[in-house]
Amino acid sequence: MKQKLLIALAPCLALGVARADLQAYRVGRAETVSHGVIEHAVILVEDGKIVTIGEDLPIERGIPIVDKPEWTVVPGFVDCYTRIGADSEGGEDMSPEVKASDELWPGADDYAEIIKYGETTLGIYPAGNGIPGLAVAVRTKASSAADMVLKDPAYLKIILRADSGSKKRVKDGFKKADDYDEKVKKAREKWDKDQEKKKGKKDDKKEEKKDEKSDEKKSAADDPKPDDKKDGEKKEDGKDEKGGFVPPEPDAKSKPFVDLRKKTLRALVSINTAADYLHWLDVLGKEDIHWDLRCNLGRPNADTDMYYVVTKKEFDLDQDGIGDKKVRVVIEPLLNLMPGTMRLRNMAVEFSNAGAKVVFIPRSDNLFDHKNWLANVAEIVGAGLKRDVALRAMTLEPAELMGVADRVGSLDKGKDANMVFLNGDPFEATTRIQAVLLEGKLVYGEVNQ
Amino acid sequence: MIHRRFASFLACLALALQFAPSVRAFQDEGGESKTEKKEGDKDAKDAKDEKKKPDRWFAVANGDVYAGHEGLLRGATVLSKNGKIEAIGYDLVLPTDTKVLDAKGYRVYPGLVAISSQSLLGNSASDFEDTIDPFNSRMTLALATGITTTGSGSSAVKLKRFSVDDMVLNEKMFATFSWSNRAPRNKKELRDKFRVTAEYLRQYRQWQKDVKEKKDLAEPSKKGVDNSCLSVLMGEQTAKFVSQDRDELLGIAQLAQEFGFRPLIEGAQEGWTVADDLGRAGASVILTPRDRRPKDEQQAREGGTSIENAAKLYRAGVSVAIVPRVEGVDLGGIVGRDIIHLPIEVDFAVRGGLPEQAAIDSMTIVPARMLGVSHRVGSLEVGKDCDLIVTDGDILHYATFVQWAVVDGRQVYDKEKELFYAGIRPRPVVEAQAHKLDKGETETTPKEGDANDAEKKDGEKKDDEKKDGDKSDKKDDEKKDGEK
Repeated sequence: MKQKLLIALAPCLALGVARADLQAYRVGRAETVSHGVIEHAVILVEDGKIVTIGEDLPIERGIPIVDKPEWTVVPGFVDCYTRIGADSEGGEDMSPEVKASDELWPGADDYAEIIKYGETTLGIYPAGNGIPGLAVAVRTKASSAADMVLKDPAYLKIILRADSGSKKRVKDGFKKADDYDEKVKKAREKWDKDQEKKKGKKDDKKEEKKDEKSDEKKSAADDPKPDDKKDGEKKEDGKDEKGGFVPPEPDAKSKPFVDLRKKTLRALVSINTAADYLHWLDVLGKEDIHWDLRCNLGRPNADTDMYYVVTKKEFDLDQDGIGDKKVRVVIEPLLNLMPGTMRLRNMAVEFSNAGAKVVFIPRSDNLFDHKNWLANVAEIVGAGLKRDVALRAMTLEPAELMGVADRVGSLDKGKDANMVFLNGDPFEATTRIQAVLLEGKLVYGEVNQ
Repeated sequence: MIHRRFASFLACLALALQFAPSVRAFQDEGGESKTEKKEGDKDAKDAKDEKKKPDRWFAVANGDVYAGHEGLLRGATVLSKNGKIEAIGYDLVLPTDTKVLDAKGYRVYPGLVAISSQSLLGNSASDFEDTIDPFNSRMTLALATGITTTGSGSSAVKLKRFSVDDMVLNEKMFATFSWSNRAPRNKKELRDKFRVTAEYLRQYRQWQKDVKEKKDLAEPSKKGVDNSCLSVLMGEQTAKFVSQDRDELLGIAQLAQEFGFRPLIEGAQEGWTVADDLGRAGASVILTPRDRRPKDEQQAREGGTSIENAAKLYRAGVSVAIVPRVEGVDLGGIVGRDIIHLPIEVDFAVRGGLPEQAAIDSMTIVPARMLGVSHRVGSLEVGKDCDLIVTDGDILHYATFVQWAVVDGRQVYDKEKELFYAGIRPRPVVEAQAHKLDKGETETTPKEGDANDAEKKDGEKKDDEKKDGDKSDKKDDEKKDGEK
């Protein structure tokens, strides 16, 4: 490990003076989330990325060091389900084509505020009911809307309730994907015919060779890939006759559902009750897509009955429970009352124990709840949730949900240097955030020696 | 105490031994049928699917089974396969993976049928497959009352907890008509509609005969024919009226007799004054015994409400179904008048002279017939759905609680697990129950065992077997008594 570090630093040394953006952090404890806890951790950051992380690594002379042995560092928090900095106006019906990325406004005061609470990555979903559209993963601070975007789209938000309307919308969506498949099939047939016609015109001598070639093309076009698209563009230009089959582009409304089936997009299904969950499974039928759940435990006057559908076994359900499906559940750090009683249930623990992956979000989009997010999660830890599950639920798990885990969510070599420095254990009541790094830049706090 | 436990353990052992060979026989049967299917179906996938879903067995054992139709089997077992009743009786062979609910000392009734209700299923009164909320507390409370099927609008729906599939049993059962003294013109119009429709139906049936010989014969005109009337006269729907008044009831009875259909009348508070007429017309009524209506003092004849309403109508041959005044779960007003007090409402009819079996029928098989689902629910019979309730006493007694409810061969309610009534007269724990049902207590054998523990141990097993023999003999005697 030491050797590696030296190798990594070699180019810097060659420059004589360490580059300005190279920075080392030596802290008492690093919670990497992905690979456990590192005591006496040294983290080297360059160009906004973590170059290396390890225990008690030697640091070359010339590299500036922030030395805080009493601090703990955790990955920047990821709130994957928020409308902060945006209004709450949206459509009522089916609009899967709407993009939350179109309404980003990096100048909103709220962003400057929540970055102080350690939130370095956000998932902003489109407002509205029905199927409101596509969420976007953003960094909390940037100079322009385009600079904010980490991944677009991050997921498709679907609201499902126990009513015929919302179930019909989902069915319609998949029907649109069916229509598109039909369209592709027809285009394919037409293309094949055209190829045959062209073949007929060719000289007899070249025929054999051409046959071989067209066979190759067919096999390549059997599974349409982005590569084919490039070929197709060339073909349309008339520059390259060898181009393969180009599937027609799906229109904006059907594309999200086509992508769901291709598994290049995840669905985040918002449900309120246990019944909604069963209706979601009912409407999903045999569709094979990636999906996660958003269970609103924080509804006004909510008694939640979600515990009925945590596992199939406990209540002898017809269907698999949420835990059996091993999906992610996006929930607030809240203890819930059992309906009609004063008994509290810790749904996060129940989900987690059953096999579901817990994702925490602040209790609401009020700044107050963002500020208390960590404290509220600490309450749930106090009520029995495993510590590592809780921290993961604020960092890596939401990052994975949005498909940005290659960049954020844990303290790993090669990932963005999004780090939150605390003056103690993150789930202790006396702990406060001391500093926040977003992609290597200090966005909150002091790290002076 | 220790001795007793040991004895009961030995009894279990004996029972197990008794069952063991037959269980094996059963498995063999299963094996054979599977191989047959494999040979028959060449499709391997089908066989795989069958393997994935093994048969679901459920048994309610040793309860006093009040099967309906005055049938009573003491200490009998109800066995269901995939939600349908497979067998009811004694010494049943239970397949190895049967889930058993021990109902010893409890009563087993068919699940109650609420002829009409509101909001038990979710937030909507239609599209049940898409809107049902199988976890809502109103449904739980209804199951705690014993209701397993309910009419909602013109549909019959099961209170199937934990599932959003296949809960609708029947749809569009009723054609609703109005027959009111306040709107004489409507009465005339309805009679005219029925007249025209009946005439059309006569012509149509004649045409059906004639058209076989003359193929170019024109179909009779459907002009002026009312579709609701037509479906009633064709027997596809039941004509439903809402009426309290004596004159209206007479009018409906006459109309029904004139055109040959059997009306269903909701309300019928003055039905007792014209019970014979309603009986002759083959009417059915939905009553609320606690409804009140003053007598019209300007009329010399009988009128107003009577506690004997249900009894008099029943004696005149009218089918009587009973429903409480409030059809939903109501937390306001006087306690005991909403749907979760269905048996208590029925009690008021019993107080007025309705026989107890008729009272039970009025919340089981009769409403099931009205909803057109009596082939599936309303009584416990082989082939019907395994919808039943296990109670700690007479269902008509005010202190009785439903301990368990079963829908489609699946336990959906347990009094001790849901928090609504768990605290009231908690069920004795299993150990105590075993003590209560100890052989030494149920049978009047001398207390030798207690005195001579040590002596008896050797010969105990044999003795127990003997006792079992005695017991089954006794059961046979009981059966014979019942038959007499």
